[in-house]
Amino acid sequence: MSATAPPVEDTQDQKAIKGTEGGVGNPTTLNIVRVIVGIIVLIWLIPAIGLLITSLRTPGAIASTGWWTVFTSLGDTGQWTLANYNEVLASNGFAGAFLNTLVVSVPATIMPITIATFAAYAFSWMEFKGRFLLFVFVVALLVVPLQVALIPILQLYNGGPSFDISWISPVVSALTPYEAATVTTGIPLSLNGSFLGVWLAHTGFGLPLAVYLLRNYIGSLPSELMESARIDGADHYAIFTRLIIPLSVPALASFAIFQFLWVFNDFLVALVFLGETDDVRVLTIALNSLNGQFQNSWHLLTAGAFISMILPMVVFFSLQRFFVRGMTAGAVKG
Amino acid sequence: MSHVMTTDPAGPTSTDDHDDAWQPTGPTRGSGLVVFILSGVAAVAVPALLYLSLNSSFNFMQNRFPAVVTGLVAILIAVVGVFLLYTLVDYALKALPGTIGDRVRPFAWCGPALVILSIYLVYPAVNTVQLSFLDANSQNYVGWANYQYVFSDDAMLRSLRNTLLWIFIVPVAAVAIGLGFAVLADKLRRLESAAKSMIFLPMAISFIGAGIVWRFVYAFRIEGGGQIGILNAIKVGLGGAPVDWLRIGGWNNILLMVIMVWLQTGFAMVILSSAIKGVPEDILEAARIDGANEVQLFWRVVVPNIMSSIVVVFTTMVIGVLKVFDIVWVMTGGRDGTEVIAERMIRNMFTFRDFGRGAAVAVFMFLAVIPIMIINVRRFREEEGLR
Amino acid sequence: MKFRSRIALAAVFAMMLAGCSVEVYEEGAFAGGGPGASGGEAVQQDDNTGTISIAGAATGTDGEAIQNVIDEGVNANADYTATYTGSDSFEQNIVIQIRGGTPPDLGFYPQPGAVVEQAEQGNLVALEDMGFEIADLEARFGKYLISLGEFDGKHYGMPDTVNFKSAVWYNKPAFDEAGYEIPETWDDMMALSQQIIDDGTAESPWCIGTGSEGATGWPATDWTEDIVLRQAGTDAYDNWVTGDLKFDSPEIKGALETFGEVLFTDGFVYGGHENISSTDFRDAPDPMFDDPPKCLLHRQATFIPAFFPEGLVPFEDYDFFKFPTIDGNDGVLMAGGLIAAFSNRPEIADFLETYTGEEAQCLYGKQEGSTSISANVNVGQDCYDNELIGQASVSLIEALQNEVARFDASDLMPPAVGSGEFWNGMNNYTNDGPDNLDSVVQDIDAAFPAPGEEPAPTESGSGS
Repeated sequence: MSATAPPVEDTQDQKAIKGTEGGVGNPTTLNIVRVIVGIIVLIWLIPAIGLLITSLRTPGAIASTGWWTVFTSLGDTGQWTLANYNEVLASNGFAGAFLNTLVVSVPATIMPITIATFAAYAFSWMEFKGRFLLFVFVVALLVVPLQVALIPILQLYNGGPSFDISWISPVVSALTPYEAATVTTGIPLSLNGSFLGVWLAHTGFGLPLAVYLLRNYIGSLPSELMESARIDGADHYAIFTRLIIPLSVPALASFAIFQFLWVFNDFLVALVFLGETDDVRVLTIALNSLNGQFQNSWHLLTAGAFISMILPMVVFFSLQRFFVRGMTAGAVKG
Repeated sequence: MSHVMTTDPAGPTSTDDHDDAWQPTGPTRGSGLVVFILSGVAAVAVPALLYLSLNSSFNFMQNRFPAVVTGLVAILIAVVGVFLLYTLVDYALKALPGTIGDRVRPFAWCGPALVILSIYLVYPAVNTVQLSFLDANSQNYVGWANYQYVFSDDAMLRSLRNTLLWIFIVPVAAVAIGLGFAVLADKLRRLESAAKSMIFLPMAISFIGAGIVWRFVYAFRIEGGGQIGILNAIKVGLGGAPVDWLRIGGWNNILLMVIMVWLQTGFAMVILSSAIKGVPEDILEAARIDGANEVQLFWRVVVPNIMSSIVVVFTTMVIGVLKVFDIVWVMTGGRDGTEVIAERMIRNMFTFRDFGRGAAVAVFMFLAVIPIMIINVRRFREEEGLR
Repeated sequence: MKFRSRIALAAVFAMMLAGCSVEVYEEGAFAGGGPGASGGEAVQQDDNTGTISIAGAATGTDGEAIQNVIDEGVNANADYTATYTGSDSFEQNIVIQIRGGTPPDLGFYPQPGAVVEQAEQGNLVALEDMGFEIADLEARFGKYLISLGEFDGKHYGMPDTVNFKSAVWYNKPAFDEAGYEIPETWDDMMALSQQIIDDGTAESPWCIGTGSEGATGWPATDWTEDIVLRQAGTDAYDNWVTGDLKFDSPEIKGALETFGEVLFTDGFVYGGHENISSTDFRDAPDPMFDDPPKCLLHRQATFIPAFFPEGLVPFEDYDFFKFPTIDGNDGVLMAGGLIAAFSNRPEIADFLETYTGEEAQCLYGKQEGSTSISANVNVGQDCYDNELIGQASVSLIEALQNEVARFDASDLMPPAVGSGEFWNGMNNYTNDGPDNLDSVVQDIDAAFPAPGEEPAPTESGSGS
């Protein structure tokens, strides 16, 4: 990517790989750091380890003893089982649900990123009146809770909300023979229960964070870069595709992870806009339906939680190498 | 996410005249109305074309091809198509005479986002404001009665107090731990990636999973029964009596916040970690040569350099905390003084089926975000000024 | 510029909107005015579409049981297919769907109160409008259950299966060994409780746990309801449900004081009354089967054996008796649901008729793991493979016919009480002891919506 971004080459000689590490040469300090990091990691992992162990135990064992007791009763093989995983994987329509989740998540991750990157560039590097306010307004939309958006959007998908524009009824009755009482208007989108409807909904709900994060990043790229590209005769589109996108890979990757996770683990949006029927339901809904009305089917839910965690972790690991490249862009400034 | 800081104290600040360079030149009068209309068209173009192309391809392929094929083609259109649409619009703008294209371009680029947002978030928000002045079934106008409820109901008042506590504690804790961890992990060579993954892990656990995980931390059984909650197991192991943690007034709120911090620190860590890596090496070197130790380096160089990322993470967290309800919903249902405002909103809307009150709580949430937005505006102006 | 560009966006958008669809309702054609009052379409029947969508709260085993019964009992012989979809978040989802304009055809509501509320808002089709004779249905379910879905002279709720709640479970071997007899009256039961302590048969007579995450407290409301039903009688019970009889009345406070005899008598509750709300209702009966047992008695609905420790055999290791009489008054507390119809098509009426008929309902007894009891009084005991359920069904049907069966009051009260302050009040009562009873009942009464807040039953609002 740096081949297409000439200014980046300036940084090649900075040997900035692993940035600040140079400061710690002292092995004692390094050990202290290791210990502290280790402790934090351990604290963070304990609940997750509990989840893993629980998912491998029989329902009876889960309900009667704590998961940590397995360490003192390793000999008791009766408490271990893979049946939970078998049951989840063999449950009705599991594979289909997994596929549906992918069909929902991939576009619902990439669409908001594309749209937000263009907007973030405009908010950062284009001059137009009101961009301050518009940008802050977009960020403020982060606060709108999903739950208040569902009903109006569902109405819209369903053939349009009834905007009461009865105030024009005098006008209407003056111009036409009708006596208008209520006038409703809407777009017959017919998006309800379709994947497109869910993609667009996730795009809408994900945009504020995407614009916010990406503008913060793109806006802090050094202006010298843009200027020199400008002098070379590049227009906005060329700067955007050849300079901004390659330089923003770390930011794009981190937002991609967050949006992917959010969509992958989403329950409510999929439930409302796609529904629960077998052909369209996503993984979260399929897993949830394993839980009984009065029961806490902990053994199934933990196994399900673990299965559904695998893909996001793979995505995280595979995108993580992009984060390190971030310093290439950062080093430019110096 | 910003690696690069614009408030870079040592870096050269650019001249102001470059801004003018971006301003389109040429006649700006007379064509105002054209620009005005074209801006609107350009903004709507991408979302509308996207919808039409996807919808028609879905309709065309439905029942003709296997669902998997339909899905794949649609994914391809959604993924590649969006970018192509922007490219198309940009070419169209270039074809326009004079400077019209340049003046329309900003709206062509940020417009689609604004259009989509106005459908998916602005319209519902306006709708919510309307609902907040109507009764439970959204049929009769009730004036300010719902807002009176927000500021007089005991549970509501408790939720306001608790949310305030959440706002002061959770973002600070998550940012502090995330930042500290990012700095420390940065010093490790090989294990950095693995260590960071472990902090990130909770973000990947579905909410249902997280609820169970924490139930196995706080669970309570009457003394004598086998404890399945790790906290009580430790307490009993040390010779104490088991406690129902989530019933202890005051502390129960803290214990719920711990869950949020556990879930959200990964977010802070990922963004702040990449920001730290963006701090220019030569500034750090210069500071070291001046005799600064690592702690001074952190406070005087690293933190100021990544301040805009800290503000971003902090803002996102505060808003996340304002909206948090599922942790409380699943763990306590708001019992024993653990209400938070988003939980009250959902409770009023969907359990009590009183949309007026629920909407009033939501509107209060909209207003509560204003102070943090003011901080952001200031930050934004500062940053632009230094560019 | 900024302002003008916004207007530009709005204008273009408005043009798009206008181009798409504008519906103009003429005056008079639209009786109700406002959304939700679309009652006009209720009476006219639409065509058979061949499919029926059903949404409900039951998931897991119970959800499967419903679909199995529908498949075997209805779909097999019909020219349509009914599909049930259960969801943990039914309560929230159905509200969103109704308001969003995409309700399912039928809703299996666990709370009759919600059905009446939807009827008030004109979203439901009345059973009368689908061609049902109320007298026939009363013969099928008893008068009481049919009356639950009544609004403005019409009936909107078809009774679904119910759960038998008035059961007291006991550890049979320990009971038999000590030679205890099944208590017939409340006083007998209290005497038995005291005797269990005196004999040292178990640490305490009772195991009570009301913990249930967000819904903590509900098992205590069931206790209260069982006592009110007997001690104050059915009329008082019905008035209590509607809010006409306050919690702060001698009847209800008296019932709570009676409940207090169990809660607050020293040693009666295993773990003490302070721990009742901290003990998960699913874990609560476990100590009954410890060796030696920590308690002998546990009051809970018929679903609870699913949570007993594994390997216990009904009638050998445990059994239940009906909650005893108080002052000679008998009764049965039940919970379950009402089926509400959101659309009026011939196949929906046919579905309701077939599904609630004897043949289909009898199939519930054959579903593994299901503890649902048919509300159809003609479904006999022999339908139920599970003998415990069979016995319960006999008590239930008898009570339905004698009109002493009552629906769970907390599911009938306004949600702010029944799914809110009633639970909280019970938690405060069990946690803090008898002294705060006055403040508990006053707090619950305060949560009842003031009369002014009730949506006024307007003539025009109910549609055609």
